[in-house]
Amino acid sequence: MVRRFTRRNLLSLAGMAAAAPIFEVKPLRGIDFILQNSPTPKKFLIETMPGGVALFDYNNDGLLDIFLVNGGRITEALHVPENFDRANPRYWNRLYRQNRDGSFTDVTQAAGLANVGNGNYGMGVAVGDYDNDGYPDLFVTSYGKNVLYHNNGDGTFTDVTAKAGVAGGGWSVSAGFFDYNNDGLLDLFVTRYMEWDADHNKICGGDWHTYCPPSVFPATTCLLYRNRGDGTFEDVSARAGFTAKKGRALGVAFADYDGDGFTDIFVSNDGMQQYLFHNNGDGTFNECALESGAALTSDGKGLSGMGTAFQDYDNDGRPDVIVTVLPRELYGLYHNDGAGAFTYQSLETGLGALTSGSSGWGVGLEDFDNDGWKDLFVAQSHVLDNVQQIDASLRYKELPLLALNHSGHFERADSGATTPIAARGAAFGDINNDGFMDVVLTTLGGPPMLLLNRGSGGHWLSIMLRGTRSNRDGYGARVSVNGQIRFATSAGSYVSANDKRLHFGLGTAEKATVEILWPSGTKQSLNGVRADQFLEIREPEHP
Amino acid sequence: MIRLFLLAWLAGQSPSPDAMQHIQAGLAARKQHQVETEIVEFRKATELDPALADAFVNLGAAYMEKGDYGAAITPLKRALEISSDLVVAHQFLGYALLEQGYAAEAIPHLQRVGALDALGVAQIETGQLNEAVATFSAALANRPNDPDLQYYLGHASGLLSKKSIDTLLATHPDSARAHQALAENYFVLRQMPQAEKEYLEALRLRPDLPSLHLELGQVYANSAQWPKAETEFRAEAKLRPGSAEAAYRLGAALLQQGKSHDALVELKRANELKPEMPETLYSLGKAASLAGDNATAEQSWLKVVELEKDTSIAAQSHFGLAGLYRKQGKTSQAQHEMQEFQKLQSTIGPPRSE
Repeated sequence: MVRRFTRRNLLSLAGMAAAAPIFEVKPLRGIDFILQNSPTPKKFLIETMPGGVALFDYNNDGLLDIFLVNGGRITEALHVPENFDRANPRYWNRLYRQNRDGSFTDVTQAAGLANVGNGNYGMGVAVGDYDNDGYPDLFVTSYGKNVLYHNNGDGTFTDVTAKAGVAGGGWSVSAGFFDYNNDGLLDLFVTRYMEWDADHNKICGGDWHTYCPPSVFPATTCLLYRNRGDGTFEDVSARAGFTAKKGRALGVAFADYDGDGFTDIFVSNDGMQQYLFHNNGDGTFNECALESGAALTSDGKGLSGMGTAFQDYDNDGRPDVIVTVLPRELYGLYHNDGAGAFTYQSLETGLGALTSGSSGWGVGLEDFDNDGWKDLFVAQSHVLDNVQQIDASLRYKELPLLALNHSGHFERADSGATTPIAARGAAFGDINNDGFMDVVLTTLGGPPMLLLNRGSGGHWLSIMLRGTRSNRDGYGARVSVNGQIRFATSAGSYVSANDKRLHFGLGTAEKATVEILWPSGTKQSLNGVRADQFLEIREPEHP
Repeated sequence: MIRLFLLAWLAGQSPSPDAMQHIQAGLAARKQHQVETEIVEFRKATELDPALADAFVNLGAAYMEKGDYGAAITPLKRALEISSDLVVAHQFLGYALLEQGYAAEAIPHLQRVGALDALGVAQIETGQLNEAVATFSAALANRPNDPDLQYYLGHASGLLSKKSIDTLLATHPDSARAHQALAENYFVLRQMPQAEKEYLEALRLRPDLPSLHLELGQVYANSAQWPKAETEFRAEAKLRPGSAEAAYRLGAALLQQGKSHDALVELKRANELKPEMPETLYSLGKAASLAGDNATAEQSWLKVVELEKDTSIAAQSHFGLAGLYRKQGKTSQAQHEMQEFQKLQSTIGPPRSE
């Protein structure tokens, strides 16, 4: 008897094979990058914190390219003013262009991205088209000065930092472009970790010699730059209310959590309460995490917040927050209850049981199995490279965490990675354009790792927004597909930038209803959209 | 103290006139803090009247004042040969012998005068640990806030414990108790794989031994292996259904895994077995809150803040109440509890992460 395989049968079979890993660790052909964090016995704190990765299509050829942020050279003799030898190619940041056959070509030098300045130890990267010219620009954060690269549209970039006025200073970590005032121009937010320099480094842990906890160093403030629209930015940190809130910020993510039409900011702080900056819509922000319930654990304890994601994990239409932390804490999941209130739900969602022994950095909420529920992926590794000597139950190198979302409850799944790594950055995107989300991780002292999604089931829709009245990337748009919500952004995770396309798993649905609320306030609906396609949606020029 | 004691004692003696002259010269030198002169004068007195016990006591005391305990021993012993009832001579000799490392010889002298602190130290040094614990306990009954006594009692108890365990390991190395003792040691050293191995061996030998499952569960809990911890705590709770701690630990392990309804049952049971324990009540509130039993959550946390005023668990309960009231839309009560939480945070510091 011949058995007929309907689509449902196939999906069912795919479900039966769910024990197989979602991803396959694949070599990144043509990428020879090693993240040079340069650990020393002096335990300079910056050594354990880089480095970022961005997935973006810099040449608009439809293929995601990869930008990797490097650390720099550190010796035990490091003193202010620090020299990280960034002119040496070994310590360059690198841009790799994806070729049609899935391999990559190093185009760093040709693109004008080679030397970022000897005084800058690299941390992270943000991507956004700040001048709305259709080509994504790069912002690279550092301990030292940050750099804004304008994408010239011809395969090259120009360092426009000085003109733009966004060099900052101190120790910048994660950053992101977003449009806080809905004027159609992407603004820039930069987290800064603490007040630190090589002359004021400390070693902790007694005889063990470990990196010090953040509380040993003074807190500092984040930066907000307003895009003037003429290629320059204005530092509005004080006016907007950020200089009043010192913290130890590592991660940042954006979403409009209260539906007032203005993008809000969640900042993950290390070793203290988290910050939720509510956008008041008048150019100012109000830090309200404590009263909103998104600052502490349910026990009233602070978190070692590192990476963060700000998306809707339970499909209730409201963005929730996930914060990755150190062991003995639990990765924080703050459920958005509506009306501006959050509830800590790490235990109820199963996240607590999965994460109490792990350290998380880069994090993403993406639907990896296309079942209509956003899953969780976390780049993991302890902050201390000698933690195992101090606590035998902990490990420096860990496997990444993949937790599949079953109607709002997370359960561990096989990521396919078998070798523990010291992961830091994580970027999420569909590298091979097959309709399944992939992951690129950075590892301290090692090469990046590609986890290529095997693509085992479910329909999908990938949406690229084309803003007209809003910013061209459509960052800040609230996009609903068959009731699922995503907030358009490339920010989130830790020191990394994600594919700006919005990926939706559709499960068995072959058609989709798409609703978009653009940052301009324009509402747009598309019915009967065919599944399994990359769709560019242009914002109506007249509402 | 030595000087006062001596002066009082000399008042009752009848030395020869020549010897008395040197004794008085020695006492005068003592007043001037001229210890070398003291020694010369008291030694002269002993030479002039070799049967005059007070001269030998004074000479010994002078050496002790000088810090030369070795030299003090001979004249003090001579004094006791002349008159074995001289309490002060026993006391000085006991201290001098102990100072010189002759603890066993010092003990009878210290016992005789009831010098409990020095006696306890001598008993530790001679390995009489049971006696030392008893001595320091008696001394602490009179001086309960003396930090030296508190230290020495702890020290003696620790040594006694170690000695007992060493004996156990030497005499019954393959017993369940020996493996348990080793496991406890590894646990303290945070060597969890070794601790787990020893506990499992102990359980293999005596599966029904009370507290083994509880302790093994704590090994797993310490390394965040909650399902395994739950299994062990459950086994302990089955073995000892009257143990509030087993019920509490089981409830806490269930809570960590998000099994709020099961946790609620166990924590309620723990609270019934041993009411008004703040930790149990706090966790009970948490489990109830997760399970949607807001009334029990509120009741439990209110009880905690009634029992505990200025502690971190009180702060955490205020925080829990704030969240509970916020979810219920009781804004002013939520704000009040949040203020109480922040007030406590500012005084006792923020609750620390695990």
